[in-house]
Amino acid sequence: MSGRVRKGAPALVVAALSVVVVASIASAKPAAEPASEAGAAQQRTLNIYGYGPGDDVAQTRTAHNQRVVGPNVEIENPRGGFNTQAFLAMLASGSVPDVMWVSRGLIGSLAARGALQPLTSCIRKERVNLKQYRGAALREVTYKNRVYALPAFTNQITIVVNDDVARQSGVNPNRFNTTSWRKLRQWNKKMLRVEGGRVTRIGFDPKIPEFFPLWVKWFGAELISRDGLKAKLNSRQAIAALSYTYSLIQDHGGWDRFKAFRDTHNWFGRNNPIVADQIGATPFESFIYNVLANNSPNEELTARFFTNRRGGPITLFAGNGWAIPRGAKDPDLACKWMKADTSVEAWVAAARNRLNLRRRQGEAFTGLYTANKRADVKVFEDIYQPLGKRQFDDAVKLLVRAADFGFALPPSPGSDEFRQAYIDAVNRVLTGRQSPRQALNQAQREAQAAINRNRR
Amino acid sequence: MRSRGWLSGFRKPETWFAYGFIFPWLFGFIALTAGPMVASFYFSLTNYSVEQIAGLEKTSYVGAKNYRQLLEDEKITLALENTFIYTVMMVPATIIVALTLAMILLRVGRAGDFFRTVFYLPQITPPVAVGILLLVLFNGQQGIVNRGLELIGIPGPFWTTDPEWIKPSLVIMSVWAVGGTMVIYLAALRGVPQQLYEAAAMDGAPAWRRFKDVTLPMISPSLFFTFIILTIAGLNTFTEVYTAYFGTGSAGAESPEAALMYAIYLFRQAFEFFNMGYASAMAWLLFVIVMTVTLVQIVVSRRFVFYQGSARE
Amino acid sequence: MTAGAPSNLGPTGTGTATARLPQILPRTARRRRVPLGNFKRAIFMAAVLLLSVLFIYPFLWLISASLKPKTDVFDNRLIPNEFAWNYDDLLDIAPVATWFMNSVWIGVVGALLTTLSSALVAFAFAYFRFPGRNLLFGLVLATMMLPGAVTMIPSYLIWNELGLVNTQYPLWVPNLFGSAFYIFLLRQFFMAIPRDLFEAARIDGDNYLTMFWRIAMPLAKPALIVTFVFEIQAKWFDLMTPLIYLRDAALFTLPLGLKTVLDQFGTGGGGQADWQIIMAGTVVTVVPMIIIFAFFQRAFLEGIATQGRKG
Repeated sequence: MSGRVRKGAPALVVAALSVVVVASIASAKPAAEPASEAGAAQQRTLNIYGYGPGDDVAQTRTAHNQRVVGPNVEIENPRGGFNTQAFLAMLASGSVPDVMWVSRGLIGSLAARGALQPLTSCIRKERVNLKQYRGAALREVTYKNRVYALPAFTNQITIVVNDDVARQSGVNPNRFNTTSWRKLRQWNKKMLRVEGGRVTRIGFDPKIPEFFPLWVKWFGAELISRDGLKAKLNSRQAIAALSYTYSLIQDHGGWDRFKAFRDTHNWFGRNNPIVADQIGATPFESFIYNVLANNSPNEELTARFFTNRRGGPITLFAGNGWAIPRGAKDPDLACKWMKADTSVEAWVAAARNRLNLRRRQGEAFTGLYTANKRADVKVFEDIYQPLGKRQFDDAVKLLVRAADFGFALPPSPGSDEFRQAYIDAVNRVLTGRQSPRQALNQAQREAQAAINRNRR
Repeated sequence: MRSRGWLSGFRKPETWFAYGFIFPWLFGFIALTAGPMVASFYFSLTNYSVEQIAGLEKTSYVGAKNYRQLLEDEKITLALENTFIYTVMMVPATIIVALTLAMILLRVGRAGDFFRTVFYLPQITPPVAVGILLLVLFNGQQGIVNRGLELIGIPGPFWTTDPEWIKPSLVIMSVWAVGGTMVIYLAALRGVPQQLYEAAAMDGAPAWRRFKDVTLPMISPSLFFTFIILTIAGLNTFTEVYTAYFGTGSAGAESPEAALMYAIYLFRQAFEFFNMGYASAMAWLLFVIVMTVTLVQIVVSRRFVFYQGSARE
Repeated sequence: MTAGAPSNLGPTGTGTATARLPQILPRTARRRRVPLGNFKRAIFMAAVLLLSVLFIYPFLWLISASLKPKTDVFDNRLIPNEFAWNYDDLLDIAPVATWFMNSVWIGVVGALLTTLSSALVAFAFAYFRFPGRNLLFGLVLATMMLPGAVTMIPSYLIWNELGLVNTQYPLWVPNLFGSAFYIFLLRQFFMAIPRDLFEAARIDGDNYLTMFWRIAMPLAKPALIVTFVFEIQAKWFDLMTPLIYLRDAALFTLPLGLKTVLDQFGTGGGGQADWQIIMAGTVVTVVPMIIIFAFFQRAFLEGIATQGRKG
């Protein structure tokens, strides 16, 4: 140990520490600047948030959009998805992005709180053709009659039927539908298998709570009013839908064992539940056919519509969209960008590129499912190549048609709380803590209170 | 310290040195921490939300409205209950397991390096992986935990899907990541003077008495520390539970109410439902609860904690 | 443990214990040889080995998952059916090396600063008696009790005012000011140092700072290393702070970088998350921490008195 330190040493340490702080902060200032120095004369910058760099489809569209907005636009597309905390921090500091890629489920909450710009003038100035978008996807982002986002993917839901299981159980996969709940329950019971108190095969998985809105729509009923201001969670139809879907799970012996078994399913593996015959039939988002076509291309399955009580197809939409936050520096440019990104040309380019990519890797391409009707048709007609596998080629045809029957929950000022309210209600029923009526009554109270608190 | 002594204390040079030593913290507290803390309290009395954050609307004072809402919110009671149950199970379990492991490690001899690292491993497994693992290992049907139980003839419960068993499985999971507490005990145990054991052995004290009369008092500062810290951590528990049951893409995204911890509900109110004012009120309620619990702990444990250096007390 | 606390822990007992300590302290607390019979010892070691399986399993699972092809990641097997070297893909799609170096530098600087500043502050709370001590220490503890979610945006605004958003400063500068957890931890260890040692040093002519540096710090070395290792880990795994403050990928830390990789191939784009790559990334994150722990773990245990005092 070295010699003596002077008496004033503590003060010295403190001073040294403060100097380090001040020095580091002072030296940091210039580091934050250089962006603005670069010849700001003609160069415009578009700040994107939540998009970069994305998969091949996103990258192809980015390249396409860059061509549309022109070479003098510098595109800032930082890595990483949308994150609410980071976005709120940006809002607080007043430096928001120009355009952001965000889940459509969030649009209602953000729009009701004024964090987004309505796209009214954007649509007018850029002559965005709203007719090209699927109505349901557009309604999902329309709050108080104003459009707040342009929709991208749809992820429509159809039913995957495991042919082997169905045939063995005496169920005709080509007739499978959800029109008759009585029949559906019989099929469920025929296909499911419980051995020694354990579920070894799910008959039909109603996928609640996530797809609960679909089951209410079976009646033609809604969980929330069109304007997003009145919750209808405890309607007669909602209670009936919950009671019914709960009974499908109870047929397996209860939620705890049903869910524990389902949690072991690996849909992304080669030994997926279809191959392993762990499931008879289940509703699923569109991407699953792509996964299955690559991992188990020879497995027999049938894609079917989810049908309402009259036998008509219905499907639930979900996905992302483009929105412009309040305070964006270049909303005009943002508008050009989102118009380009959701255009037929962008989707066609992305699909073409993905097809080539998949071919090179020896993998299957099962189409893109977007909120742009025309793009879907064009991709299907001009780019999509049948795989030569009956089950997947049929599935793709069905998916393209299914999108015409889509619906989505309209945005409400308390979107997330609303959603949480019915999810919690379904869970309370599944775990046996409340009856469907009690649970949905509570959900209705919670959801309506949230909407009332947040409506402006 | 009475008020007169308080002021006169500043005449002593020792006081000024003391303040010199704590200056870094004091500076940081005033510059970076105090402001946000006060701000959050102010927000708890307002309608603070997205439009106020964005500066589109003025933040308006709503009085005790948010606090009144706390009383009406059924989820608050539920979340507090969950959090208390979890903490009450987790804290003693962690302390006992950590101390047991630390004592074991002192006895394994040359292989100590290896076992120390192994016992520490779960501590450095990132929360994301822990969350996934929780669901994989504790799965009621195929999980390794239940397969193990089956071997000894016990039918395992549905840990991750039966609301009765979710909290116990979370406790087991956090007790498993006990490495940090274990390391603190190890450091403390090594500081116990060997002579005290020798003296106790000479007096003919059996192992249990040596543990009780020498080990426990000598490491009591560390026990006290972990007791307080684990309680604070338990009442604020968030990350692992959130990734396992609430995060997007987690297998358990159904967000079971049995796993709804207070800090998770607070987070949702703030960043999913955008009720920042309400979330701030929630935060201050938790603050008061944690503060009260800690004070009680300090008062109760005071007579059991022994500091070698506190002779001047 | 609280119920049956021995009575000699009371104020009277304290006096006698401390009176004896100064003489006995300089001797090393050696590794205790436990006189167990060979048979008993074999059983004991077998039990420890069995126990360690519980603790090593998740890590093996993680490594195994990182070596599986995309389709098998969650297949629950410990030995992969088929091996896939996902680490190349990870390096191909993202500047992982840059993120790794950022994490290293922020972790090391942050941990060093926190250890030093927390020790300084902790020493003051342990050694000095001064007006306001209890109140200030209460404040230290209080800063741990308010959930970070509600102070996040005000904190962000401070850094924004300083013009330091999208720099790495918010990630390590706060470490200059000590951290409540470590101040409390180190205070506990400093308080366990017999006061007579300090008094003796004072008589030898040490001032407070030399006393801190030459008596307190060496004697609390295990706790200081615990602090350093804990903080480097906390920094290493922290996702929230970088997520809020950093925009440029060149500044990212490893956890933030990996999160963006997950976003990139997530289901939001209509695809499936590439978990095998995330698992490889997780292994890359975990292994350095294991090395650091393995390296420092002996030092955790260095006897309190090995440094002796002075000279």
